[in-house]
Amino acid sequence: MVKATTRGLSRRSFVMGTTAGLAAAALGGAASAQSVPMVNKITSGSTFRWIDSGDQKAVFYNKLFPQFAKERDISVVYDALPWKEIAQVVPLGVRNGTAHDVFALPQNVNPADAVAQGWVQPYDDFIPNIAEWKAGFPDGAFLPGINEFGGKTYGLPFTSNKRYGTHLLFNRAYMEAAGYDPETTPLNWTDFRDAARKITEAGQGRYYGFIIGGSQLGRWAQTVRNMGRMAGASAGGDSVIEADIDFRTGDFVFDSDQYVAAIELLIAMQADGSMFPGIMSMNAPQARAFMPQGAAGMILQGPWNIPGWEGNHPDFDFGVASGPVPDEGPVGKLTIGQGAAAPNTMWLFSGSQNGAIAGEIFHYLGTVQGQTDWANIVGAGDPPIFAEAIQRADMSGRAKAVLNMFNDQIRVGPNPVVGNGDLAKVIGAFQAPEINFARTVQGLVAGELKGVASEMKALKDRYNSALDAAFAAAKADGAAVDRSDLVFSNWNPDVDFGASDYS
Amino acid sequence: MRLLQTFHKLRYHYLMLLPGLVLGGMFVFYPIFAALFYALHDWSGFNSDLVFVGLGNFVALFHDPIFWDAFKRSMIFLLGTVPLQMGLSLVLAVLLNNQLLKLSSFFRTMVFLPVVTPVAVMGIVWTFLLSPFNGPINGILLDLGMISRPIDFLGKSENVMGSVILVYVWKWLGLTMIYWLAALQTVPDEVYDAARLDNCRGARLIRHVVLPIILPFALAILLISAVGALNVFPLIMSMTNGGPFFASEVMEIFIYRTAFATGDGSIPRLGYAAAAGVLFGGVVLALTIVQALASRASKGKVEGATT
Repeated sequence: MVKATTRGLSRRSFVMGTTAGLAAAALGGAASAQSVPMVNKITSGSTFRWIDSGDQKAVFYNKLFPQFAKERDISVVYDALPWKEIAQVVPLGVRNGTAHDVFALPQNVNPADAVAQGWVQPYDDFIPNIAEWKAGFPDGAFLPGINEFGGKTYGLPFTSNKRYGTHLLFNRAYMEAAGYDPETTPLNWTDFRDAARKITEAGQGRYYGFIIGGSQLGRWAQTVRNMGRMAGASAGGDSVIEADIDFRTGDFVFDSDQYVAAIELLIAMQADGSMFPGIMSMNAPQARAFMPQGAAGMILQGPWNIPGWEGNHPDFDFGVASGPVPDEGPVGKLTIGQGAAAPNTMWLFSGSQNGAIAGEIFHYLGTVQGQTDWANIVGAGDPPIFAEAIQRADMSGRAKAVLNMFNDQIRVGPNPVVGNGDLAKVIGAFQAPEINFARTVQGLVAGELKGVASEMKALKDRYNSALDAAFAAAKADGAAVDRSDLVFSNWNPDVDFGASDYS
Repeated sequence: MRLLQTFHKLRYHYLMLLPGLVLGGMFVFYPIFAALFYALHDWSGFNSDLVFVGLGNFVALFHDPIFWDAFKRSMIFLLGTVPLQMGLSLVLAVLLNNQLLKLSSFFRTMVFLPVVTPVAVMGIVWTFLLSPFNGPINGILLDLGMISRPIDFLGKSENVMGSVILVYVWKWLGLTMIYWLAALQTVPDEVYDAARLDNCRGARLIRHVVLPIILPFALAILLISAVGALNVFPLIMSMTNGGPFFASEVMEIFIYRTAFATGDGSIPRLGYAAAAGVLFGGVVLALTIVQALASRASKGKVEGATT
């Protein structure tokens, strides 16, 4: 049986996929997936299943898998599902032994738990010369406690985490009329507010200066976190024991001057009338869709918009630039907890009998050729982890510009779990306050909460209580952990934190 | 022994019931008992760490102000929708029950049309209609000079509940109207004829003759509507996602958010959500029981009135 099937493609996946497909088609032959080298002995007639969150990844796999299946006389079923459904499908599949051979972990499941619970198996035996293969990855791609456990390799870290979802995308015509050129000189906070006001005034109700998907709570947290960190509030940004924690003190930075000022800036822009009307009932995809329509001048969003807009709206003249930088002083770096993007890290189901098939795909995705093929199709949205692949890939000028900018602005910081694997139990026990960071920012900008500084101080207290409770629960569960495990006194936010820095 | 004999005698009847029982067991009874079981545990839903906490989740819920706020909003939603829905639909039913009214079937169909349209689709369409940016509702209000600047119907806490209540009433008005029409069909023609002979017409006919006859149905319709008003998950999810800042977070959204969509990287609390579901389910169940009793009582009264 020779078959490759795609199921459950969401509407968003379809739109994004079509978009990326058009972009890929525009790039010509360079965008087609290459043949995957046969490095393992594979039983013909097998059915192999793969599930991830789709979007532009689906375009890549829909090109890759039919040929892959045909060459090996197997069936490949590819399922692209939204994260909310992955959070239900994967745990259920694992529990009843019918999980996909390869899956993305639900975002709330930390890898250490998945390994401890027996969800996944190592793939060392399915990659020939795995040590040599792993050596081809950049430093920080494979980390104990993240994708390596007990000396075995569990997760495939093949896309880069060096990206952020709140860089500036803007309408060039509106921005030029407002008198700014962010691609040459990044907007500082004052310029950002002024540009939004001028664009709104010029729009006279037809378009507005700034838009954000305000009903999608995470947008508020990411926007304030990244503006605050670029203004100098150094902190992590990934897992619940990193995000918004200054590793030099181990304490939350919610009430820092930078975070407070970032929220006050958003409130001021709201008061200026520079924000798009109705943002509080609009999610991120809806907000993004207004940009090519010319209804808004600026949005703080991610690189995944670039191939979509270039493919679907070739006449839309937009620019990409840094997120707003502080009015004075150096621009702070954005800290990430690991070199590889956690949501794209793929895992081999413990009950899978198709490790050899998975191994061939994993192997291919960890080669320069596989990484370049990936970059040609997926582009800047989920950049490959090999820097060489980015240089070799046939991407648009905007995509390359934004990826180069990420390399300049983002640094790998300490990952507490690498320092102490028992912290995975703290992550598992952590319950964020119901009025969490994102909701607090939304409430403040919406006018439902008053007093930024006092609310952020209260928020910090709530998070400290929640974190203390998580540590207590983890200790009760036998973990040897302490809040001092979150302190890395040798951390310099301006440079990558390497494996040797943990000792 | 006698029971076995009865069972044997009716074995084919029971056999016919079996598919329904199996399906009901799988998709109705099992989830109910599973929810009760999980409500007594602290569990994320992701792993096998199921910790028995007894009534701990229920105690925590009673001390959770966000739970009570959501509960209160569900009650506000119920009180905001049901009287309006019943009143408007009764007026429409009385008007459209008149067979002599031209195009009455067409109008009935028009009023009923939103009922058969998927809720989530309606929710998304209404967010566009209510949008403060080029939304037609704001456009009309601006053109009529009723407002000077667009209203953010779904983005302001003071407007959001009123907006979703009105959309809900519009959506389900047709169904309640059908209930009323069914009730009106029970009024015998002779009663109308007798009333007309006594020169009782128009509003007097409705008030003094029709309403007393159909009143027993009102309780059943009221309770059906009330139970319906507590099941608003798809409408609110598609329109507001419970926001802004909890302003439209009713009980179902609270349960969903707690069980699946924490959105902040922390582990979901399926046990806690199950406890909230059990409590909320208890309220709905109480209403359903009242509905059943009321239906029985009203049926008896109608039979008494018409014999």
